[in-house]
Parts: sequence; C-alpha cells; structure tokens
Amino acid sequence: MKKKLISILMTAGMILSLAACGNDAGGQESSTGGDTGSTQQSETSSEASTSQESSTAPEADGEQVTLRMAWWGSQTRHDITVEVIEMYEKDHPNVKIEYEFFSFDDYFTKLKTLQASDQVWDIFQLGGNFPMYMDKICFMDEFIDSGIVDVSDIPEAYLQITQDIEGHQIGLSNGLNTYGIAYDVDMFNEAGVPLPTDNWTWDDYADAAMKIMEKTGHYGSSKFSDEFIAGCSTYIGQQGKVGEYGFFNLDLTGMGFDDPSMLEGYIQMRADLINAGASPDAGAEMEITNIENDFLVTGEAGMTWVAVNQFPTIYDICKAEGRTLALATLPRVSADGPSGAVIQSSQMLCVSQDSEHKEEAAAFISWFQNSVECNQVLQGERGIPVNNTVRDSLKANLTEGQQIMYDFVDLIGTFDVPEKVNVLSPDGQDQVVDKYRNYIQDVAAGNMTAADAAQKTYDDAAAIFNK
Amino acid sequence: MKSNAQAVRTSKVRKFIYSNNTVGHVFAAPFIFGFICFSLIPILTSFYYAFTDYSLGSKTSEIVGGRNFAMLLTDDIFLQSLGITLKYVFISVPLKLAFALFVAFLLTRKSRLVTLYRSLYYVPSLVGGSVAVALVWKQLFARKGLFNSVLSDAGFSTINWFGDTKLALWPLILMSVWQFGSSMIIFAAGLKEIPTSYYEAAEIDGANGFQKFFRITLPCLSPIVLYNLVMQTISAFMAFTQAFIITQGGPNNSTMMYSLYVYNQAFKYNNMGYACAMSWFMLVVMSVITLIIFKTSKMWVFSEAGE
Repeated sequence: MKKKLISILMTAGMILSLAACGNDAGGQESSTGGDTGSTQQSETSSEASTSQESSTAPEADGEQVTLRMAWWGSQTRHDITVEVIEMYEKDHPNVKIEYEFFSFDDYFTKLKTLQASDQVWDIFQLGGNFPMYMDKICFMDEFIDSGIVDVSDIPEAYLQITQDIEGHQIGLSNGLNTYGIAYDVDMFNEAGVPLPTDNWTWDDYADAAMKIMEKTGHYGSSKFSDEFIAGCSTYIGQQGKVGEYGFFNLDLTGMGFDDPSMLEGYIQMRADLINAGASPDAGAEMEITNIENDFLVTGEAGMTWVAVNQFPTIYDICKAEGRTLALATLPRVSADGPSGAVIQSSQMLCVSQDSEHKEEAAAFISWFQNSVECNQVLQGERGIPVNNTVRDSLKANLTEGQQIMYDFVDLIGTFDVPEKVNVLSPDGQDQVVDKYRNYIQDVAAGNMTAADAAQKTYDDAAAIFNK
Repeated sequence: MKSNAQAVRTSKVRKFIYSNNTVGHVFAAPFIFGFICFSLIPILTSFYYAFTDYSLGSKTSEIVGGRNFAMLLTDDIFLQSLGITLKYVFISVPLKLAFALFVAFLLTRKSRLVTLYRSLYYVPSLVGGSVAVALVWKQLFARKGLFNSVLSDAGFSTINWFGDTKLALWPLILMSVWQFGSSMIIFAAGLKEIPTSYYEAAEIDGANGFQKFFRITLPCLSPIVLYNLVMQTISAFMAFTQAFIITQGGPNNSTMMYSLYVYNQAFKYNNMGYACAMSWFMLVVMSVITLIIFKTSKMWVFSEAGE
C-alpha cells in the first residue's frame, strides 16, 4: 500500500517535472532521469508502469538522499544558510536538504520533542548546552578517520573546543566566539563618560550606564536577560586567581565555587540599574525579540550584551543610520583581576544518531566548515571560522564591523586565560536561569535582599546535581 | 434457491449499510479515530506519567508514586500561578459575559444591518486565539504603543503595562473580554426565543426598560447564562496563547498562567511527569468549580419546566 502510494506520488512528480521541462526551451539539465524524459514525454498516455520503472532507476545508481537540517538564528543567518544549502544541492544532485529554522527557544522546544520521538534532524546545530542531547549526537571521530570529514586545515585547539571530556569529536565548530559589550560611541561622548578600556570594571560599567541614563534619557544598558553565562557566570570566574572559580566545576558534576555571596555584588548592581531606569525592566525587555531590534540598535540604549558574532550585523545596521558602534570587553571585578573571558565555539553542527544517512550528513558538515566558496556566503556570521584557509580568505576583505570583531577576538586571545574552562550548561539550567531572573526583579522591587537572591540562585543551581 | 439466499444476503448487507446506525458511525469514524488517538490515549498516558519522573528526551522513567503531587504543594510558582489563573477567571469571565450580553441586547433591534454587525462583532473570536492578535495586543500595550501614545498626547503619564507586576494581567483580561463573540451569538439566539408577549404585558403594566430587563430578560435567559458561564470558565482556565506570546509569564511571574507553567515545566524544563501531575490537578480544580456552578445554578437558573 505504502509502496504503491509512493510510486503514484513519484509518477505524479515525474509528470510535473516533465511538464516543467517541456515549457523550458530545452538545455535544462534535469537532475533525475533527464535523458529518458524525451521518450517519456511522447508517451504520457502510456501505462503508469513505464514511468514507475524509470523513476526507480536513478535511485539504484545515484542513490537519492534526503537530509534534514535545522538551526536557530536571525533573519540574516536564515537567508545565507539557505543560500549555501542550495549551493550544496547544486553540486551534489543526489542530495536534497530539507531545512527548518527557528528562534533559539523554539529550536530547543522542537529539538526536545524530536529527541523524545527519535527523529532528530540529520544535521543539527548545538551550543554549550549539548550535554542534554548527548544520546542523540553521533561522534564524528569515525568520519574523520575514514576521511569523510576533513579536519586537516583546522588547528587542534579549535577541534578541542567541540570535544567532550573524553576527547570525542561531538561536532565541528561553526566558529569562534566570545562575549563582549557593544556600545554606542556617540552616546558615551554625549554623556561625558570615558570610553571603556580593556580592563574596565563593573563599577565603571554601572557608572557609565547611570550617567548615560541621566544625561541622554536613554537606557544605559539594554536587555540583560540573555546574560546568565556572559555576566553572572563570568563574574564568578573573575574572582580569585585565574581559573580558581567557575560557576560549575570542570567536569560538570557540581558547583565551581562555595560561597554564594560571590554572586551578591552582581545581583545588587543589576537590581540597582533596573531601579534607576538605567536598564530595561521585564516589560521593556519583552519588546526585544532578537539582536536586530535590541535597544542599542534602535538607539534607545548605550550598551548591550553581544556574542561577538552578532556584532558585524548590528554594526552595519547602525552605520546605515549614521551611528558608530564599538566593542568593549566584559567588565571585570577588579581592574587587575582575571578577565573571565573565554574564546569558545559559538555553536557546532552535529550529526544525529537518528540519521539514516550519517555519512552524507557528515560530508555536508565538512563542506560547510571547510569550503571557501561556502564561507564566502556565510561571512563568519556564526563566528570566526575555525578552518585556517577559510579564515584567511575571509580576512582578505573584511567589512568594518567584521574587522572590529576579528581584532576583538585577537585581543581576548592575549588575555591570561585558565588552562581549562567549562562553558557547558547542565540539564536543568533553564529553570535556574528563569528563577534567577525573577530573583533580580524581586531584589529590584525590594521584596528580597541581594544576599538572599544569591543564596537562592546558588541553592537552585546546586540542586541540579542532587537530583 | 441459491440465488434466493444470495438475494437475502445482499438485502441484509444493504440493510446494514443503509441503517441509520451504520451511517452515523461511518460519519463519526474520523472523529472517533481522532478522539482516541489524539485525546483519549494521551490523556491516559499522561495519567500514568503523572506518577513517574518522566523527563522529556529520556527513554526511561521510574514510577515515583505521589511525589509529583506532593511537590506541587511546595512549589511557590505553582501556587502563584494557581492564584493568578483563578484571578484571571473570576475577573475575565463575568466581564466577558456582561459585555457579550450587552452587545447581544443591542443587536436585537430590528435593523437591516444586524446580521452584518453580528458577523463583525464575531470576528475577534475567530481570530482571537491566534498568535497574530496576541502580537498586535503586545504592540498596543507596549511602552510606545498606541495606548501609551494616546495617553501621552492627552497629557497623562504613560503606563508601563507589562513592566508592572500589578498591571500586567489586565491587558490579558481585556483581550479575553474582547473575544466575546461566541457568547454573544448564543445570547442573541436566546434573546430571540423570549416571547414578545411577556414584554407587551409588562409594558401594559407600566414597566420601564430596567424592570423589563431584570424581571423578564435575565430570568428567561438564565439557562443560557449558565451554559455560557460554564463554557467560558473552562476555556478561561485553559488560557495560554496570550500569556505565552505577550508576557511569557513575566514580569516576575505575575502573568504565569497555569497552562503556561505546565508548558514550561514540560517543554522548557523537561519535567514531563511533573507537568502531567499539574494537568491532572487542574482537572480537579476545574471540575470542582464547574460542580459549584451547577449546584448553585438551581438557585438562580429559571426553568419553565420546573415552575
């Protein structure tokens, strides 16, 4: 029954594609069975069996493969990714890629349901929260060994950023990334605030935000809600000696610090900024749906948090409006203390365990990361490419915004960084982060002290490991 | 002989095919299929999962007995969301019904355009549950949205609707009230059923409009009020879209509707078992409230048969 249905569908598809060929004045290369087309056309009235025969033929030799792929991101990313997918399909007529794209939250909701039903996309994008999806990731080691995936041009260090603790290659990184603070230079000048230095502190930061708010009437700093990793957990890493503390420990089995009061100063600062109107409250934050309509971009804020791969996009938008953005490092707890900054993989592409065509999926990922032609389109929108040749070819003609991003990542590279850092998120972190955001609102509303909020956040996070 | 038997058999088959029951079942089959696959089975499995620690994405789950239900009582956000949902139901349903009745009453006038008006007023209910309208609502009440710009043009200070924990629920309630269409249609039908002779008699006795409304219209309409009340209460308990799209439960969980919290637990925090327990708890709450409505209805619903 199913077979019959498929053959009917294929026949229908065949006839349609033939009709399309017929309208075209010839010269078009049909991907499947194009040469039998002319004979078919004259016999359209003949039995379905003939067309059925010819439609199954290419499947035998060319092996038609359909891969499913998904990612999250901005409109720009969707457009360019679709473009390279079409490029790949053109070069590989036997591969068809069905793609889906989502916003960040929707992507993971969908992924979780697919995970539950064993239908995860063949090629899927993951970030630092991959431990949750470990059972769906097909390690790339075997494809690297068999030569399907080419890593010859990717430095060992950049392969390591997407390996698990045991050294399995869980995916290939889409790019290098780190966090920074994008700011509006004119707004700083207008408010008479000195521009951020490479080792500015959280006090400088809060001070700048307050002054911008007072002098210009705009928010000093835009939305905070995505900053749990960039802000809160970096704040822990900045205390003590380099690499002494982390929010979670290195092997992700417990907390990386013992004293909840280490969070207190940060929570207090955030609550103060919200109370003073120097940072948007929860209602205003809801109006920001992606980086392209962040208050910094709309001209309503002096600073915002970015993962630096987002910077070139917003730089260009603002430049078109005659404003200049710049990129500052994350503020530190003390000017001579650790920076807490880490260069990490922005996201990676992984092959799914549920895939029926793992090798083809791996081949696509290899192309995606290594092809110069492909990355000329992608333009490092997901982060700075890990492949040396690709990176050099992109560096040859950078836009201003991209140049700032590359310089920034180089700068972070010169900072004193711990040997090993944990940039991963354990299962259950989402709930901790949601609660933590509400604690901050409670502190801002005066319903809770910062010390209590710090203690509760610590307890919530520690509870992940006691389940 | 043979052909005779065959004829009997065919006529039996015919009889079977053409019998009302068969036709009925055939036509109901798609629904029954859908109901079993997409409602009954999920309902039963969710009952099972409510007693397990099933987490979305994991393949195994252990039976943990009543732990999920015990956890509900110590979950602050759960208790808060229950309170918010009850507040939402108790405010939005009466407002909505009053508004629906008011509009239905206006539309009983004899005018050529009544049908057009009725269709127009029904439109919000058609599109109301959709994401698009929720997004529009979000824009209307935004910091620089329509309502705030009207306020500031009129010289008032603007209101931070979604930033204030005390205010954030109100735009959601207003949105629900605005979707009064389906109740209105039912009220309008009910109003038509009230015999005009009652009003004529009242007029002869010198009753004014208010008296006619409260002494004739409301009592005659009370069975329909009951129906609408029950239906709207149930659907208000299930409100999800507005909170999910407009506020995502914020600020500080002040619009964390029950069903949104269930969704978050299930799909965001992966606690599927816990979310199932929560859904079953909601069923109990809704049943109790519906039961109360039915029990008290004897006191205020006027039934002609009973008199």
